[in-house]
Amino acid sequence: MELILNTVFSAAFVAAIIRTTTPILFASLGGLLSDLVGSLNVALEGMMLISCLTAVLVSAYAPWYVGVAAGMVAGGALGAVMALFHLRFKADVILVGFAINIIAAGGTVTALNLATGDKGTSIGRVLSAAIPELDLSFLDPIPVVGPVVTQMFSGHSYLTWLGAFMVFAIWYFLYRMPGGLRFRAVGEYPPAAEAAGISPNKLRTYGLIASGMLAGLGGAQLAMFNFVGFTRDMTNGRGFIALGAVLLGRRHPVGTAIAAVLFGAFEALSIALPGILPQIPGEVIHMIPFVVTVVALMLSSKRKLTA
Amino acid sequence: MTQGKLILSETGRMIFAAVIALAVALVIILLSSKTPLETFQTFLTGPLSSKRTVGTWIDDASKLALAGLAFSLVFQARQFALGVQGQVYIGGLLASTIALSPLGLSWISIPLGAIAAMLGGALLGFIPGYAKAKLNANEIVSSLMLNYIAYDFTAMMLRLYLASPKSGLTASDPFPPTAVYPAFIARTRMDLGLVLALVTVVVVWFLLYRTAWGLKLRLTGHNARFAAYSGIRSNFIMVSAMTVSGAIGGLLGALFVQGTGFAKLAAGFEAGLSFEGILIAIVARNRPLAIPFVALGYGYLRQGAALMGYRTDVPAEVIGIVQGIVILLVASSFTLPGRALLNRIMGGRSAAEAS
Repeated sequence: MELILNTVFSAAFVAAIIRTTTPILFASLGGLLSDLVGSLNVALEGMMLISCLTAVLVSAYAPWYVGVAAGMVAGGALGAVMALFHLRFKADVILVGFAINIIAAGGTVTALNLATGDKGTSIGRVLSAAIPELDLSFLDPIPVVGPVVTQMFSGHSYLTWLGAFMVFAIWYFLYRMPGGLRFRAVGEYPPAAEAAGISPNKLRTYGLIASGMLAGLGGAQLAMFNFVGFTRDMTNGRGFIALGAVLLGRRHPVGTAIAAVLFGAFEALSIALPGILPQIPGEVIHMIPFVVTVVALMLSSKRKLTA
Repeated sequence: MTQGKLILSETGRMIFAAVIALAVALVIILLSSKTPLETFQTFLTGPLSSKRTVGTWIDDASKLALAGLAFSLVFQARQFALGVQGQVYIGGLLASTIALSPLGLSWISIPLGAIAAMLGGALLGFIPGYAKAKLNANEIVSSLMLNYIAYDFTAMMLRLYLASPKSGLTASDPFPPTAVYPAFIARTRMDLGLVLALVTVVVVWFLLYRTAWGLKLRLTGHNARFAAYSGIRSNFIMVSAMTVSGAIGGLLGALFVQGTGFAKLAAGFEAGLSFEGILIAIVARNRPLAIPFVALGYGYLRQGAALMGYRTDVPAEVIGIVQGIVILLVASSFTLPGRALLNRIMGGRSAAEAS
């Protein structure tokens, strides 16, 4: 027990949480934007997966930032496809989202086979570039807290800092800008927004595209930093967990971010546990983030849902 | 619209879905295969190439039909519980436990396995339903989380208690022959599972269209507020629909492990088939009696893709793209380009009437 506590309250563990949280944070911010305008985005999982592969393949031929941008564009394009089918062709958004997930699971393996010319299901470090780490070791000389701060916050992906900034930026947009007010109005009560001259479908389209771009950034982080390379189904439910984070975070950017950190913490724990308590079966450890998500959802949900 | 016209237009929709599926597959094969014609031929005719492949096709179709039924029940109640996969794993685990116990040495393990699997699946279906009714927890997220949990739980029980060392801990010992569904045609997978699937089709149809419960369920799905005003306890309907759907998912688990295809519990035995039930349910418009036909048609494509994956340079995963695009197009409501013109020629029926 002491060993667990020592691990959990160490600076290295905080660093691990930040690392595991980043992809979930991006995806859940994406989920938040589309959920707020009234279309629950269950395709986060598939969007992340396609972005993972896109980022890996593009970064094999271009600098890392082009890979990240390609992942983001891939996610945004999927968001546009969702908008087209959901809003123009009136298909149910859950079905459209799941169709994207199914296409992503099969399509990434097919595309990978086409790109590599064999029937493998993963490509590793050889092909892909990694997102560089942001070195903050200049903070080390600060008295008392310097070394701890460095250990916690130095060496993270550039995208981690972008993610933290996005929480603020999305909050500012939603609660301090007229566009954000319209966004929330459409999600709250579409007829009123429409009467005020706002086109709900236009904002929903923006919401889904932005949602896809954010999920794409999460995918790029996952495939170019957390793991370098692509493996089939490597997102492993993170998109669905992100959806849980949106609901748990009471559809507020800060709440969503806190929920994402909570799920990130349990994922980090599930990575650290085998080293501390080898007697716990691996499957139980693997279950932890999912159990936490479903329990948190049940405990927190005593309220009206829009979905 | 009369019954006959309805059947005609629905058949038209299914043919449309099939044409789209084939066209998508053809395009992908043309883009990716070095020998596109041979590959496409394998895809199209592969399932008929031997008695064994025909059997596998029929067996897949019965499993797909069960998955489709499980989804169509919750979809008819307009719930988006997506937990069939988890129910299949738990059902498979429980049926395997029965089959590997001393009970497995008697034929009683076949009905007992199915019942245990259905109870386990029903419990797993009940949880998200209850959590939604009482705690307002979103059923999509909770049922998806339960899928991962059930998968891990089954993998753990298999590894710790049921696995045989000979298999490298990835599968149990083969079940005793008494615990395996009898096959109708030797050396094929056509077994009792087919009968169970067909019986379930009829039972679900009866429940939905010939009982008060089914009427309430369909009313709730159609317009929950209206149903509530007319005194239907929609929460009860919702939870019971998810529970019954869960039982079907569990039965599918028993079909997997006790069928002649596996006749043992193997890690990851379900291999993603459960989610393909979404396609079956959507294309069949959640109508139980249409489900076997859709399952046969889609099962054929699926089997063709699998054989293509073995025999040619195009991976079997192509079927995922086909599947997703079919769901997108069938779930959408838009008029085909040319349809308005066709209608004008045919005598001015509007597109809305025809669809």
